Amino acid sequence: MDTLAALAGGFATALTPTHLMFAFIGCFLGTAVGVLPGIGPALTVALLLPITFQVPATSAFILFAGVYYGAMYGGSTTSILLNTPGESATIITALEGHKMARAGRAGPALATAAIGSFVAGTIATGALTFAAPVVVELALKLGPAEYFSLMVVAFVAVSAVLGASALRGLACLFLGLLLGIVGVDLQTGQPRFTFGMIEFLDGIEVTIVAVGLFAVAETLHLATRRKHGEDEIIPLQGSLWLSREDWARSWKPWLRGAFLGFPFGAIPAGGSELPTFLSYYMEKKLSKNPAEFGHGAIEGVAGPEAANNASAAGVLMPMLTLGLPTSVTAAIMLSAFQSYGIQPGPMLFVTQGDLVWGLIASLYVGNVMLLVLNLPLVGLWVKILKIPTPQLYAGILVFATIGAYGVSNSVVDLLVMYAVGIVGLFMKRYDFPVAPAVIGMILGPLAEQAFRQALTISQGDPFTFITRPISASFLVVALLLAVGPKLWNAYAASRARA
Amino acid sequence: MPEQPKVGRRPVTGEVAAAGALVVIALASLWQTAVIPVSPIYARVGPTLFPQIASWGLLVIAVLLLIQAFRGGFGVEESLSIDWRALAWVAAGLTANVVLIGTLGFVFAAIALFVCVSRGFGSTGLVRDAVIGTIIAFGAYLGFEKLLGVNIGAGILEGLI
Amino acid sequence: MSGSITRRGALAAAGALALAHPARAQAQAQARFESVFMFVPAAPGGGWDSTGRAIEQAARAAGLVGSFQFENVGGGGGMVGLPRFVNQRRGQANAMIVGGSIMLGTGITGKSSVTVRDVQPIARLTSEAGVIVVPAASPFRDFAGLAAALRANPGAVPIGGSVAGGIDHILLGLILRALGQAPRSASYVGFQAGGQNIAAVLGGQVQASISGYSEFAEQIKAGRLRALAISGEARLAGDGADIPTLREQGVDVTLANWRGVFGAPGTTAAQQAALAALMGAVHATPQWQEILRTRGWADAFLAGEAFGRFVERDIADTEAVLKDLGLA
Repeated sequence: MDTLAALAGGFATALTPTHLMFAFIGCFLGTAVGVLPGIGPALTVALLLPITFQVPATSAFILFAGVYYGAMYGGSTTSILLNTPGESATIITALEGHKMARAGRAGPALATAAIGSFVAGTIATGALTFAAPVVVELALKLGPAEYFSLMVVAFVAVSAVLGASALRGLACLFLGLLLGIVGVDLQTGQPRFTFGMIEFLDGIEVTIVAVGLFAVAETLHLATRRKHGEDEIIPLQGSLWLSREDWARSWKPWLRGAFLGFPFGAIPAGGSELPTFLSYYMEKKLSKNPAEFGHGAIEGVAGPEAANNASAAGVLMPMLTLGLPTSVTAAIMLSAFQSYGIQPGPMLFVTQGDLVWGLIASLYVGNVMLLVLNLPLVGLWVKILKIPTPQLYAGILVFATIGAYGVSNSVVDLLVMYAVGIVGLFMKRYDFPVAPAVIGMILGPLAEQAFRQALTISQGDPFTFITRPISASFLVVALLLAVGPKLWNAYAASRARA
Repeated sequence: MPEQPKVGRRPVTGEVAAAGALVVIALASLWQTAVIPVSPIYARVGPTLFPQIASWGLLVIAVLLLIQAFRGGFGVEESLSIDWRALAWVAAGLTANVVLIGTLGFVFAAIALFVCVSRGFGSTGLVRDAVIGTIIAFGAYLGFEKLLGVNIGAGILEGLI
Repeated sequence: MSGSITRRGALAAAGALALAHPARAQAQAQARFESVFMFVPAAPGGGWDSTGRAIEQAARAAGLVGSFQFENVGGGGGMVGLPRFVNQRRGQANAMIVGGSIMLGTGITGKSSVTVRDVQPIARLTSEAGVIVVPAASPFRDFAGLAAALRANPGAVPIGGSVAGGIDHILLGLILRALGQAPRSASYVGFQAGGQNIAAVLGGQVQASISGYSEFAEQIKAGRLRALAISGEARLAGDGADIPTLREQGVDVTLANWRGVFGAPGTTAAQQAALAALMGAVHATPQWQEILRTRGWADAFLAGEAFGRFVERDIADTEAVLKDLGLA
C-alpha cells in the first residue's frame, strides 16, 4: 500500500493550480506540435529545455509529460482528417481513420481515437505505477536476437496491410525496405544508397516519406481528377459522437491495444510504431467484418491509437526506473533531469520520490485533461473539412513543407518528400497500397541491424535465434501466425468432409 | 489471388510503364549495392546482404508485375483521364516552393505554394488566396521563431522582423 | 522549488563577484560584439545545438553580445551544414560554427571535399571522456582482465557502442592498436542512439560497452555497471574520480568528445583573435561556469593557436584509426 500512499502524495503535488497550468500548457503545446508532420515531442521538449533554468523540476517535468502525451493525440487528428500523419506512430491510424473521415465519419473516428488514447494511457499509467520495475527487468532480457525474431512476427503481421493484390503490396514493401537502407550502416560505418550525397548519410526520415506518400500524393492525385468533379469529401453525416455500435466495436480494441502497446514502450528497440502494426493486424484478424478494413473500419483506428498511447507511457518506465531512454523524447527528458542535477536511475524513486510520484500523478491528470481538451475539439476539428477544397489542400501542402523543411533547413528533404509524392501519385493511380512501403521502411532497418548485431554477438552462430528460448518462442508465434490459419482451415475442411 | 490476369486483353500502357519503372528502381538499387564499399571490419554479415535481398526481391516482383501488365493489366479499374491543367498548377506551386525557400525565404515560398495549389484546385480569388497564404505563412513563422526559437527558413522578409 | 532557488542564489552571488573584479569587466568590454551569427550544423536539441545556445545564454546575460542569430542545418554528422557555412559566410567576421570531434570523423569517412580544415579554429569549450564498462556480474574485474581477453582474441569479446566508425569505435580501435591488435579484428556491435547500447550491456548481451561517461554515470553509481577505464587525459573530478585512466593502466590512449567553435574562412587573424577573446570572456562569466556545472560538461577551454594545433593532431589520430578500419 506504500505505492498508493505515494501516489496520493503525487496527486497532492499534481493538483496544485500551478502544476495544473503547466499540465495544460504541455498538453496544448503537445497537441499543436503533434499536428505538424516532422515536428514531434522530442524536438519540442528539446526546445523547451531552457525552461529548466526558470522553473522547478516538478513543473518542468509535468510540462514535458504533457507535451509527450499531447503529441500522440495531435498526431492522430491530422492522420484522420488530412491523411497527414504528424508522428510515425500515427501512420497506421491514417489507414482506416482517413477513410472514415472521407465517408463522413470523421467525428466517430476522432472520438474513438481520443477515448482509446485515454483508456490506454490510463491503463498504461496504472501499469507504470505498479509494475514498472518488473517489466523493465524482463525487457532487459531481450537482446538483438529476440528483437530480430520479434521483427519476424511483425513482418508476418504486415500481410494484413498488403491490400488486394499481394504482388503490388510486396513491391511496395520492398520499396520501403530499400528506402530504409539509405544512410550509414550502423555495423560497418559504410554509406549505403546515398548516391554520393552527404544529405543522405543520416538516412531518410520516415515521417517525410509518409507525408509524401499520404498527403502530397493525395493532393496530386486529386488534382489529376479535378475535372471529373469527384473525390470531394463526403459531408459529415450523422452524429459526431460514437454510436452504440461504435462503442461496442471500439472497447475491445482499446483494451487489446493498451496491453500490446505498454510492454513495447519498455523495450529498447520497440518503438511506438511496432505495436500499432501489430494491433492493426490483430484487429483485422479478430474483426467480425474484416472486409470493412481498408474502407474505414473503426477497430483499425481504436486499436492502433490505444497502442501508441500505451507505448508512450511504457517508454517512461525504463526511463524512471533505470535511467534508460528507449525513445528520443525520453533521452531528451533525461538530459533535462540532469540539468536539475537529478540523476534518473535505480535510485530515483528513493531520492526523488516527490518528483517521480508528482510526475506519475500528472500523467493521470494529463490524460483526463487531453480527453477533456480533445472531445469538445472534435466538433471544431471536423470543421477543417468544411474548408473549401482549394484552400484545404493548399494549406496541407504548406504544413507538410513546414514539417519537412522547417527544422532541418534542408531543401533535399523537401525534394525527397515531393519525389516520394510523385511516386505515390503513380501508386494511387495503379492501386498500389502505400502502407507496406512505410512499414517496410520502419521495420527493415530494425530487423537488419538486430540480425547482424545478434550474429556478431554470437560470433557468427546462426542458431542463436533458436537456441535462445525467448527468441525461439517469438519465432514459433510467427510460424503459427503464418501457417496456423491455413492449417486450421484445412483441419476444419477435413472434419466437414468426414 | 483476387485478380486474374485477363488473358487476351492488350497491354495497358500506364501499367507497363509503372512496372517498368519498378524494374529500373530495382536495377538502380542493385547498382548501388554493388558500390557499397567492402569493409575490412570484422562483421559476420556484411553491409550488402540485406540490400541484395531487397533489390533482388523487388526485381523479381517488378518483372512479375511487368508480365501481368503486358498480359492485360493489374485489373485496376479504368483510370480516368488526367486533368493536366490542375496538375501543372500544383506542380508549379511545388517547384516555386523549392526554388524560393532557399532564396527569398519560407514566407514567400509558402505564399507562392498556397496560391498556385489553390489555383490548381479551381480557386479564382487570387488576392484572397494570397492574403490567406500570407496569414498562414506568417503565423507559422512567428510561432516557430518566437515560441520555440527555431528559424524555419530565414529569407529577406524574415531578416527584417 | 528549493533546487532552483539555490541555483539562482548562486548565480546572483557569482554575478556580484564578477562585478567586483575590474580586470574581468574590462576584458568583457573589449570583447563586446553587436551581433553574432551562430551556425549549428545539427538539428535543434542535440549537443552542438545546446552548446551554441548555451553560449548565447551566457554571452547575453553578461552583456557581451547584443543579439544572436541562429541557423540550424543538420545531417551527415555536420557535413551537410559545414559546406553551407563555408560558402555563405566567407569573410564574415562575426560568424561562428559549432563543431567538435565527431565532425573530424564524418569528414574523413564521408570523403567530404569541405572539412574542418576549411574553417578557422576559435576555441574548444567542453569535452567528455569515454568510459569502458562491463556488467556488474562480468568476469572482467579490471581493465587488465579485459585487455588480456582482447589480446588473446579480440573477436571473442563483443563490445557495444554507437555507430561503427563513430567516436566509441575509434576509441576501441586506438585501444586495440595499443594492445598490439588490429582495430578491424574487434567484434564491435553498433547500436542506434537512445539507450540500446546501455540496455545491451546491462542485460549482458555484449561483454563490454563504450560511451561517453554521462551515458553510463547513473548505472555505474548504482553498481549495475563497472567502469574499467576512462579515456581522458586525467581522471574525472567529483563523481567517477575513482575510475583510472587508460594511461594509468599502461595503455597510452587518450580520446575525448570535444565541442568548440570555429570562425568563417577568409577572415583576418585580428578578426579571429577578436572571436577568441569573446569566447574567452564568455568562458570567464559565472553564467558559463554555472551552465557547465548544471549540464555536467567538463571544462576544456583552449583557444587560438593551441586549439589549432590540437585539432590538427586530433585529425591525424582519427584518420589513422579510420584507415585501419577501412573507412578512410
